[in-house]
Amino acid sequence: MRVLVTGANGFLGRHVVGALLARGVEVRAMVRPAAHLGALGWPSSVEVFTADLRTSGELRRAFEDVDVLLHLAAVVSGGEDAQFAGTVAGTERLLDAMAASACRRLVLCSSFSVYDYSATGRILDEDSPLHLVPDVYTRDGYTIAKWWQERVTRRFAETNDWDLTVLRPGFIWGRDHGYLAALGLQFGRHHLVIGPLTRIPMTHVENCADVFALVAADRRARGQTLNVLDGRGERIWTYLSDYMRGSGRPGWRLPVPYWLAISLVRLAYATVFRTASKVPSILIPQRFESRLKPLHFENRRLRETLGWTPPLDYQQCVVRTYGPATPNAAEPSGAGALAVLNSRFNRRNRFSKSS
Amino acid sequence: MRTALIGAGQIARQHLSCLKTLPGVELAAICDLSPATAEAAAERYCVRAWFTDHRAMLEKIRPDVVHVTTPPTSHFGPAIDSLNAGAHVIVEKPATPTFEELETLVQRAREAGRHLVEDHNYLFNQAPQEILRRIEIGEFGAVIHVEVLICLDILGPSGFADPNSPHPTLTLAGGAIADFLPHLASLVHLFVGPHRTAQTVWTKRKPSPLPFDEFRAVLDAERGTAALCFSASAQPDAFWLRVYGERMRATANLFETRLTFDRPRNVPKPLRPFFSGLEEGKTIRRAALATLLRKFKEPGAYEGLWELLARTYGALADGAAPPLSASHVLEVNRMVEALKPKKR
Repeated sequence: MRVLVTGANGFLGRHVVGALLARGVEVRAMVRPAAHLGALGWPSSVEVFTADLRTSGELRRAFEDVDVLLHLAAVVSGGEDAQFAGTVAGTERLLDAMAASACRRLVLCSSFSVYDYSATGRILDEDSPLHLVPDVYTRDGYTIAKWWQERVTRRFAETNDWDLTVLRPGFIWGRDHGYLAALGLQFGRHHLVIGPLTRIPMTHVENCADVFALVAADRRARGQTLNVLDGRGERIWTYLSDYMRGSGRPGWRLPVPYWLAISLVRLAYATVFRTASKVPSILIPQRFESRLKPLHFENRRLRETLGWTPPLDYQQCVVRTYGPATPNAAEPSGAGALAVLNSRFNRRNRFSKSS
Repeated sequence: MRTALIGAGQIARQHLSCLKTLPGVELAAICDLSPATAEAAAERYCVRAWFTDHRAMLEKIRPDVVHVTTPPTSHFGPAIDSLNAGAHVIVEKPATPTFEELETLVQRAREAGRHLVEDHNYLFNQAPQEILRRIEIGEFGAVIHVEVLICLDILGPSGFADPNSPHPTLTLAGGAIADFLPHLASLVHLFVGPHRTAQTVWTKRKPSPLPFDEFRAVLDAERGTAALCFSASAQPDAFWLRVYGERMRATANLFETRLTFDRPRNVPKPLRPFFSGLEEGKTIRRAALATLLRKFKEPGAYEGLWELLARTYGALADGAAPPLSASHVLEVNRMVEALKPKKR
């Protein structure tokens, strides 16, 4: 089986490539022209296909002899229009090329951001409401782009009768990506922790990559939409503690109850910003909720559909993220690395208690 | 008045937001090569129809006005098709990559009895308009010299200098800076008129896909002289306009709301800088607050575009000439041609 992976050198993509290789899958890795691949350590068996989804005219060639497309590419920086052009228009061009090929299996990396947190009750799962038109256009550029990317992909899959699996990861974390938007507000090294006991819908990048590699080959995933979470998630306070210790960035943490924070945001929005056409994202109640609303998250459908359990538990993930780098990222760190990290945590114990 | 837009990318958002506020304007259709981009813009701005083929749109919608907001290298086709379909055309700057193509558009507009308006939005910002008002009432005296200077970091990896996907403007003579020449030239033209001679310096300070990242020019124009500058390295970002008159000097930053005037005062000469400084400080503090507050509201820094569109639609509704005539557009673009780097 040959799998085409877009965004293959991205934060998630490089781990997905590793997970596919570990399962003996042939990989064609699509990367952008200016990508630096040297540090990735890919074996020569990885076939690199250079293209930019926004402009490349050679996308059809990428699908030659490809059985499955893992579409991970998305633009996550820049303005709203740049994200839309890169993520949505790029997906249109990619899937136009796929429609002209023999490939009929597609796995899309969507996002939790497609869910309407404001309309969700206590539990957020795959049946929770998605954003609706026109409200979706009041959300941030990333949300609009990912919502539209999923919409476009579903339309293509329906038109072409493709086997589609949509995976919606929660917050993906890992080495060099330890800080999560769910942690509240950051002011330099200091943190305003909103709802400190709220659990974060999170998945470590290596666990998440394992799901993508599994789904690429598993027939049970076809036609499914699955949230990708390692479990019910760590509490914000706990994870922030681990982040601050692990990253060596001490600072103050001020806990604020969620109900108080959202009340203040709603009050400010109703009184000051309602008539404003441009408001900082965190001061818009719906966007505030999509980052911080305390909900119950779980990965039941993922477990039941595929029988999946995360290869790494939380403590192993912490070590993989903040401990010494290991030469082979696909293998869990050994006891030595864990010991090094534990000693680092112990050295900072005094800071931990005082903050 | 039925209006349509071709090219639903970044700048289109400003056109669409403004059009939704204009009385008597029906936003009838949006067109983009990307179906999702066209449909998303149509949904966002409550427009009933969207297309991916502008000719099909022109035939079906029959708009009175078409906004062409595609990348600058692809303005010509949609613009001439729109004129042929009997629509007035408002085209983003730079209108065309070459002066010859612009002349063709202007000629076609004249033949069709339609108007062609290039977006010289900064002319309609409050600061240039206030300076112009003071010139017209004689407070300023004759304009001697004008300086227009843009400091803007365009070397970041996600815009003009994207290493993965060449930006469309890189095919223009002058590269990405050519995208800003109409701003510089239109402001110079506003205060000192058409140019007579021009001397330019085009250089590159930093490695990037851009052919040039620095530009300087000195102009002799019909009513005065001008210095023009674009710098991708000088920071912080700013858009300085300085107009030197016989009796007054004006300084504005068009990325902000700052506008200050300095003039001779009826005080002992050694005290003039003191009183000027006090007045300037007061004005700048007020402008700082206004600049902060305008970040929360549209049109923000695009105030000039909104004003230009409001005046243009007002004129078209009255059957009058729009605020920017075809001859104005041609004169500004003759200046732009003189500013472009010479082929080696």
